[in-house]
Amino acid sequence: MAEQFHAQQLALATEQARNPLLAALNAAGQQAFAAASVPNRKTEAWKYTSLHNLLTGDFQRTASQSDLTAGLREVATLGSLKAARLVFINGQLSSELSDALALQQVTLFSQADAEQQALISQHLGTVLAHASSNNSGSAHLFNDLNNAALNDGVLIHVGKNQRLEQPLQISWLSSNNPQPFSITSRLLMVLESGAEATLVEHYASDEQPQNSFTNALTELVIGDNARLQHYRLQLMQEDALHIGSTHVDLARDSQYSAFHLGLGTRLTRNDIVVNHNVGGSHCELNGVYIPQNQQLLDFHTCIEHKVPHCTSNEVFRGIMNDKARAVFNGRIHIHPQAQKTLAELSNKNLLLTNTAEIYTKPELEIYADDVKCAHGATVAQLEEKAMFYMQSRGISKKEAEVMLSFGFINELLEALPHEDIALVLRPLLAHRFGRDQSLSRHLLENETAGLSGENA
Amino acid sequence: MSSNAEIERRIGNDYQAGFVTDIESDTIAPGLSEDVVRFISAKKGEPEWMTEWRLKAFRAWQEMAEPTWAHVHYPEVDFQALSYYSAPKSMADKPKSLDEVDPELLRTYEKLGIPLHEQMALAGIAVDAVFDSVSVATTFRAKLAEAGVIFMPISEAVHEHPELVKKYLGTVVPQRDNFYAALNSAVFSDGSFVYIPKGVRCPMELSTYFRINEAKTGQFERTLIIADEGSHVSYLEGCTAPMRDENQLHAAVVELIALDNSEIKYSTVQNWYPGDKEGKGGIYNFVTKRAVAHTNAKVSWTQVETGSAVTWKYPSCVLKGDNSVGEFYSVALTNNYQQADTGTKMIHLGKNTRSTIISKGISAGKSQNAYRGLVRMNPTAAGARNYTQCDSLLIGDQCGAHTFPYIESKHPSAVVEHEATTSTVSDDQLFLCRQRGIDTEKAVSMIVNGFCKEVFKELPMEFAVEAGKLLEVSLEGSVG
Repeated sequence: MAEQFHAQQLALATEQARNPLLAALNAAGQQAFAAASVPNRKTEAWKYTSLHNLLTGDFQRTASQSDLTAGLREVATLGSLKAARLVFINGQLSSELSDALALQQVTLFSQADAEQQALISQHLGTVLAHASSNNSGSAHLFNDLNNAALNDGVLIHVGKNQRLEQPLQISWLSSNNPQPFSITSRLLMVLESGAEATLVEHYASDEQPQNSFTNALTELVIGDNARLQHYRLQLMQEDALHIGSTHVDLARDSQYSAFHLGLGTRLTRNDIVVNHNVGGSHCELNGVYIPQNQQLLDFHTCIEHKVPHCTSNEVFRGIMNDKARAVFNGRIHIHPQAQKTLAELSNKNLLLTNTAEIYTKPELEIYADDVKCAHGATVAQLEEKAMFYMQSRGISKKEAEVMLSFGFINELLEALPHEDIALVLRPLLAHRFGRDQSLSRHLLENETAGLSGENA
Repeated sequence: MSSNAEIERRIGNDYQAGFVTDIESDTIAPGLSEDVVRFISAKKGEPEWMTEWRLKAFRAWQEMAEPTWAHVHYPEVDFQALSYYSAPKSMADKPKSLDEVDPELLRTYEKLGIPLHEQMALAGIAVDAVFDSVSVATTFRAKLAEAGVIFMPISEAVHEHPELVKKYLGTVVPQRDNFYAALNSAVFSDGSFVYIPKGVRCPMELSTYFRINEAKTGQFERTLIIADEGSHVSYLEGCTAPMRDENQLHAAVVELIALDNSEIKYSTVQNWYPGDKEGKGGIYNFVTKRAVAHTNAKVSWTQVETGSAVTWKYPSCVLKGDNSVGEFYSVALTNNYQQADTGTKMIHLGKNTRSTIISKGISAGKSQNAYRGLVRMNPTAAGARNYTQCDSLLIGDQCGAHTFPYIESKHPSAVVEHEATTSTVSDDQLFLCRQRGIDTEKAVSMIVNGFCKEVFKELPMEFAVEAGKLLEVSLEGSVG
């Protein structure tokens, strides 16, 4: 099963990779992928994450041409977020829905001019390469596969001291295809010193049952004093499969603040690796996962403190419902030189049913003495006292559950620096918890008075 | 000159239990095969079922691979280069009482600060002393027998209480449990056996001292403690070994069975030889310890780990019965080139089971100290509760402190809390102490003792003092 998947994907990758600019990367990727074996339950970093659905899924082809349906059009607007957009449908750029290519900062690998090609050669694959030395399990064969199959991608280059006023939204959408298929997507973003930008990565699909496997890889190079706000929203339909990696390089006094949301797919594996390469950088990494039904969502984060005087703060929260499973592995690695580091991690989880499962493992690996590090993890159900308080005031049990669950997540939404995105996400989450619209109704009355009409 | 002498003395002092006792011993040639297993079994005059039990373990072991997942690095152990049995020769015909014990042996224990007679009598502690692989003396047997408590070497228990041994041996740690447990099951030579009858509160603390003496031998002891319904026992083990340049292997198995409403408290002060300042020599301590707690039972592990070159040890609790309680209190100190990967597993099966984990890791010198723990809430563990706190203290900038807690929850009403912090002895703290005339070394020792207080208070009183001193000695030379 694993061997067949491996062979199929390698064949597909070789067939797909046709861009001469990326030939060296393709070759290295194909070689590494051919040599790697598919992880199983005995592989430490995949201990709780069964790849069964992926290995048996027959994802041996790319998508055939797909129509732009009304459903996809709607999804692509991401709740009417005001942003410059790039929209891909089943891996193909939809020029009708995309307006961001008009910006000088945005281009595709296949349309890059000489200067941009130089940037691609300089940076593509380099951030990812750090992961192979950190021993955290985040350098896995799906990254090699992405390198191997890469044909095109998105390059965003924000020049020195430039500030992108509008958020950039990159949507990777998938729609139903007659046969199961793979999508390989790649994003490289380079912020020169003093640059500022907001990036929204959006993975979604229409309402049809899905048969796609997305292998998404994002590399972010953040220069001196640059700031990036990064939102990675994974909202695919529940049949889709998604393996995604985000690799970040931080230079002097730079800031990376990120919010990762995992709602969709049957199986998601998300690796987030943040490298503090030069002193003074700060990373604010937050995330939420809310699996339901049979979903399995896996988040592996790794913060590499390689130099002194850096700080990081990480908060992940999860709510598991029905028969869903979630895996969280949060690693903080302090290298011997990284004195004066401050690093914190918190992971809180709610289990709502008898059949839901959570596996969490906050890890600290510390080789320097003058540091302050802490992590905490909790697993529990909704607090009995809070439930009682609400029920004693005439709120039904179900409704109280929905309100408390929403509140648990909303704490993180309120801390989001970009209020517009919080406004987009709230109705999504309210709908998720409420399922039945009548229950989620109340949640939004006070919260998003300004958005009334759009959520009805 | 005199200051030089003082320094010499201090250096020599590092490992106080590092002497070799020169007594003739009966050691078999290195190597491991079915014949060796049979030899050990025959040497013990064991019944057929016991020999078979060992052979089954040996066959399982042959198919197993040495685990490599722990955060420790050491050269591969050549299991064929070890001798699997060593007994002091004069023990061939076992002493009937303490008076018959080889005086050389007794002096060894006295050097270790384990005076078998008087002090223990005063302290009211019964001791089973295991020298290399053989139990040499068990004190207070008669007095314990009055209460119905059985406390004897496990090799004797096989003969005298086969029904108990047969019923419980291997039920908590099966032969195939892991590589080292399988090895131990095949070649274990002795250890303590304790049985506390129904409703009995053991009248005194029970204690075992282990010592590896012979060179190139491995020590494989096996401890089995059964607390019958409603009983209570507190048990303490201590370990030392001579200073030798080569690494020696210690692979023990401890099984605790706490039946309904009983309580077992198991404390360890582990001070195996940690190797010298360059990391040469020292004991490889690969130990499997596990307890099963039945309904309303309580099991408490307390450990002070200061010795061994490499430690791989996870005293665990399977909380099988409803309302059972598991506790784990640990201080693990590593200095120089020591490496420790230690922690616990709390497996919650019963309803309303509770567990507490308090782990304090201290790393100094060039050592690596890791906490690795598992808290598992099974789908049956309604209302279960866990609280985990693991703190690390780093002394010096070349050591490492790591935390790998695994949390698995499958029941919504189970509550798991985990907290971990890492910090160093801060300059402010040291400044405050020194300003008040306390020298740096003393100050560090005070701060470390304060850091470990929560664990020390769980130790029996006499040993809490000893543990504090042990830390002080182990930390010598790590500051300034």
